[in-house]
Amino acid sequence: MNFKEFQNQSRLYVIGALEPEEVEEFEKARKKFGKKAEDYIGECYGLHEAFALSLRPAKASGAIKGRLMAMVRARKEA
Amino acid sequence: MGRSKLISPVRGKPRKRARLAKSGAPAVSVVPQLEPGAPSDLDLMNAIQAEDPDALAQLYDRYNGILKALILRVIHNEAEADDLLQEIFMEIWNQAKNFSSQKGKPLGWMVTLARRRAIDGLRKKQAYARAEERLQNETEQQPDAWAHNVTEEEIVLSDTRDLIRKVIAGLPPAQQEAIDLAFFRGMSQREIAAKTNTPLGTVKTRLELGLKKIYDGLKELRGEL
Repeated sequence: MNFKEFQNQSRLYVIGALEPEEVEEFEKARKKFGKKAEDYIGECYGLHEAFALSLRPAKASGAIKGRLMAMVRARKEA
Repeated sequence: MGRSKLISPVRGKPRKRARLAKSGAPAVSVVPQLEPGAPSDLDLMNAIQAEDPDALAQLYDRYNGILKALILRVIHNEAEADDLLQEIFMEIWNQAKNFSSQKGKPLGWMVTLARRRAIDGLRKKQAYARAEERLQNETEQQPDAWAHNVTEEEIVLSDTRDLIRKVIAGLPPAQQEAIDLAFFRGMSQREIAAKTNTPLGTVKTRLELGLKKIYDGLKELRGEL
């Protein structure tokens, strides 16, 4: 696999769309390309941000934040 | 994708010209700008790592709407989405020590975590078939939620959303559908091929081309936000 092919596969990898047999080959290439590969995969995760930001924000129940913060403070004090 | 498409006015509102990504900066990050003086997401994550609950509260205020929308897109159930949202922010608190800014932005990390939890939740509750049916109904009413859901509210992040959706809307519908099923439904290429009655090779090509166009488009619009 050359680096251009690795880039293509990386974009599929970060959204979980590689088939198991492709993941094996991808991981081999990932080791071969080392830091360059890790940097590129890191950039591809920006797609996750973008897909989430493409959605219209939804209103969460007002009670959630209160429950969450109570749990967090209890966890911290425990 | 042409640059001019990305800098076209939306709702008659003038836009700044897009700048190409600066060398060395993350290529596709499109995190919106904050108010002057507001702590950055990274500041908040650092404070959460130091166990500051107020930082989590601020991060919640900033991103609960985005994460709820993401969860809702996956599981299609309001009450379950609220429960999962609470669990995910609790996980953000518990797992904050595993976040590393060298591997990406806080929002990317949170979205990845939320998506995984939402897809896991969907499968664990064996609600897949029911959600599938709901998704099918929605798809029939609105064939392409990304491209046609254009009624915008005046809310924070709307400009960011407009720009990203413009990039996504530039894709052929078949590519959008393949990416939607992979990202929001957690489907493999084989599952997408079966669902859409499309050859596996075609699904792979659609995903590759679509993701490349989005990736390249986001690189161009970065700097405009």
